[in-house]
Amino acid sequence: MGIEEIGVKSKTQIQEYAGRKKAGQSEKFQESLMQNLKSQAEENRTPEAENNVSPGGRAAGINMTGNAARIRVNEAAGREAVQSAEVRNMSYEESDNIEIAVTEGYTLKGKLEGDHVYVEAKYDDGRQEAYCVDTTKVQEQTEYRIEQFALETADGMS
Amino acid sequence: MEHKFEKELRWNDLVEEYQTMLYRIAFSNMRNRADAEDAVQEAFLRYMKDEKPILSKEHEKAWLIRTTIHICMDILKSSWHQKTVGLDESLIAETKNIYLPYQIKDDRTLDAVLKLPMHYRNPIYLFYYEDYSIQEIAGVLNEKEGTIKTRLRRGREEVKKILTEGRP
Repeated sequence: MGIEEIGVKSKTQIQEYAGRKKAGQSEKFQESLMQNLKSQAEENRTPEAENNVSPGGRAAGINMTGNAARIRVNEAAGREAVQSAEVRNMSYEESDNIEIAVTEGYTLKGKLEGDHVYVEAKYDDGRQEAYCVDTTKVQEQTEYRIEQFALETADGMS
Repeated sequence: MEHKFEKELRWNDLVEEYQTMLYRIAFSNMRNRADAEDAVQEAFLRYMKDEKPILSKEHEKAWLIRTTIHICMDILKSSWHQKTVGLDESLIAETKNIYLPYQIKDDRTLDAVLKLPMHYRNPIYLFYYEDYSIQEIAGVLNEKEGTIKTRLRRGREEVKKILTEGRP
């Protein structure tokens, strides 16, 4: 079998395979990929998204608009003032500040510890996250709930 | 065999430790102080009569919560109670009697939670106001964790409806 023959056979096989594919499969994939790329690009262009981007990393805290007002946990740790911490299962009694957000699906507990605030978040999907917030690095006008909550906790104790 | 005096001491400690928490859970179900107190007393009486050994502190606590909730359900189902249910208007005035050990910023949400059907109310109340984990609630209510997550999610939607439209 020569090189050309192999090439020809492969080409034929590809055409046959393409014929066997489920109709519209690749089109659907392409369509959804394009849609995702478009929506990502649009998200980056919106003023809210521009405001959310901090110099130290991506946005953190509660998405203040829309129905999905949930804390974007993974992004929170990307902010300069917010560090991920180990969950200690702190009780309400031990906390200096608590927030019960039934309609948003989470609770927050905060405790002032020296120059930072330990914040524990519990979500109704079972996730639990903890953060260490350096309140000296938080801007007073911050839009992010974790940072706002840490400031409230620190203010409440001062 | 445990001495009668030791038993009394243990019961006193037990009542001291759990009465407030059980009262709050009973109140969230009964929505009035007198019925909540009756339910808690009945739960303690059943515990004291029950001679089965309690395996651990968590087991003891879970048993008491579960029994309190069951007693509340029985009272609510009773024909006498159904004929004498209080007016909705009195609920807001009564909510302050739940005696949470911390300050809540939003009384309206708690009122809305107390208006939920029981299968949503108990998981939501335990999760948000008593700070129980989904795993603990599943244990207490004898349900799967997935069921509790679903009830929390749907219950949250119901709370939103009550707050915006004023109806469950």
